[in-house]
Amino acid sequence: MEEVNNAEQSAPQSAPVELKRMNMTATLAICSSGWLVPGLAHVLIGRWIRGAIFASCVLLMFVLGLGMRGKLYDLEFDEPLHVFAFIADIGTGLFYWIAERLNLGLGTMTWPSYDYGTTYLWVSGLLNYLIVLDAFDIAQGRKP
Amino acid sequence: MILSHFTALLLFALFVSTVFALITKNEPREQFRYGVFVFLSFLAVAFAVGWIMYPLPL
Repeated sequence: MEEVNNAEQSAPQSAPVELKRMNMTATLAICSSGWLVPGLAHVLIGRWIRGAIFASCVLLMFVLGLGMRGKLYDLEFDEPLHVFAFIADIGTGLFYWIAERLNLGLGTMTWPSYDYGTTYLWVSGLLNYLIVLDAFDIAQGRKP
Repeated sequence: MILSHFTALLLFALFVSTVFALITKNEPREQFRYGVFVFLSFLAVAFAVGWIMYPLPL
């Protein structure tokens, strides 16, 4: 009886999570898809709920940013600092290109929420970069 | 679409804190607690900086 009690006391609180590691090619393919379509990387890994939450957060921020007349930056070398804004904006992947093709995101500087809208657009892209890195860590077995 | 500054701030804090919580924590309970902490921190810092800037002639 004492042995059983000792065994129970020394047992870990929760079972260790088995971390599976994918090969690098599959990981990069998954991360690329996650960059193009926010949240898709987690869905492909099998984290449906997490992927859906990420997708809704990024897309809502992107749509709200456009709705607030924020500006989507193009790649312009005349204004070097705009390159950073462009890098942040293309974080949303396909949605950036779709918005550009639809002539959305032109930005109305006189609009009251222009600054907020532009910031929303930047941050939605930057968040998606973090989300892709999270998917990379999961695919490489670095986190559960 | 015109949102008030406070509404825009609330939504911004909500989205960012949700993503941060899901990325940095693994257990649902930890994620919730950390998300609430980040969300409230956003609001607290915004209020604090707003009041600090209030007397400035901007």
